[in-house]
Amino acid sequence: MNRDFYRKLVDLYAGGELPQELEEELEAAAFRDPELSHDMTTLRQTVEALRRSEDVPFTEESYQRILMKLYAQGVDIQPKAPTPAHLQYQLPIFG
Amino acid sequence: MQDSLQDSQTEKRWLIALSQGDASAMGGLFELYGERIFRYTYRMLRNRTDAEDATAETFLRVLKRSAELRADGAFRTWLFRIARNLCIDKMRQHRLIELPPDATTSGNEERTALKVAVQQALAELPLEYKEPLVLCDLEDMPAREAAEVLNISVPALKSRLYRGRRALRSKLGGVVEKTDEP
Repeated sequence: MNRDFYRKLVDLYAGGELPQELEEELEAAAFRDPELSHDMTTLRQTVEALRRSEDVPFTEESYQRILMKLYAQGVDIQPKAPTPAHLQYQLPIFG
Repeated sequence: MQDSLQDSQTEKRWLIALSQGDASAMGGLFELYGERIFRYTYRMLRNRTDAEDATAETFLRVLKRSAELRADGAFRTWLFRIARNLCIDKMRQHRLIELPPDATTSGNEERTALKVAVQQALAELPLEYKEPLVLCDLEDMPAREAAEVLNISVPALKSRLYRGRRALRSKLGGVVEKTDEP
């Protein structure tokens, strides 16, 4: 296989979309081609960093606020659990 | 696999109930997809309050159009498409009023720095690159489904995805190489 062919495979390699056999062949080709090796390594590292980068916590507070917005629009929706005490409206106690 | 099969059967049940006028079925659909839609909108908007608004509005729109619902397997794509359109509207509004992104996560300093750098670089990418990266690399959505959400062909999606990854790498410079770890 020629150099151009391997270069075209780099995008698939970066996303982990190549079959094992072709991936090994590409890695072997990269031994002989530092430029190809750099392209493969940095692109795959970028994709892996992206996939590891996001930690979006769906907090109880967010869950409850979304439910409130839906309730406010008259949506009949049953929450999965009772509203935690700290998110409930507290009535003032007099006397 | 078992979970996804069970999810799809559950989805079908809720969709049929909702299309027949049972508004309480919305709770089931929210349980099934609320968190995913929130994560997606958060990734697009980078702001919790906006993501909460967009998530609630997505489900409201589903309810408004519940008579049109069909349990044919395309619901999730449609749901993401609604969420996407809402995000795009909000992003247009933000060009007028710039809102700060939420503070990011904890962890060791180097990894946190990398996460912040990646999030920042992603946020700076043109939308045509950012969307495939969010759907395919962060939401782990299959290419065919992501293409449907974006209303483009699969080859066009892949082209944008690959160019987007390269654009992200350019924006990150050498940050990824320096902090790479096993």
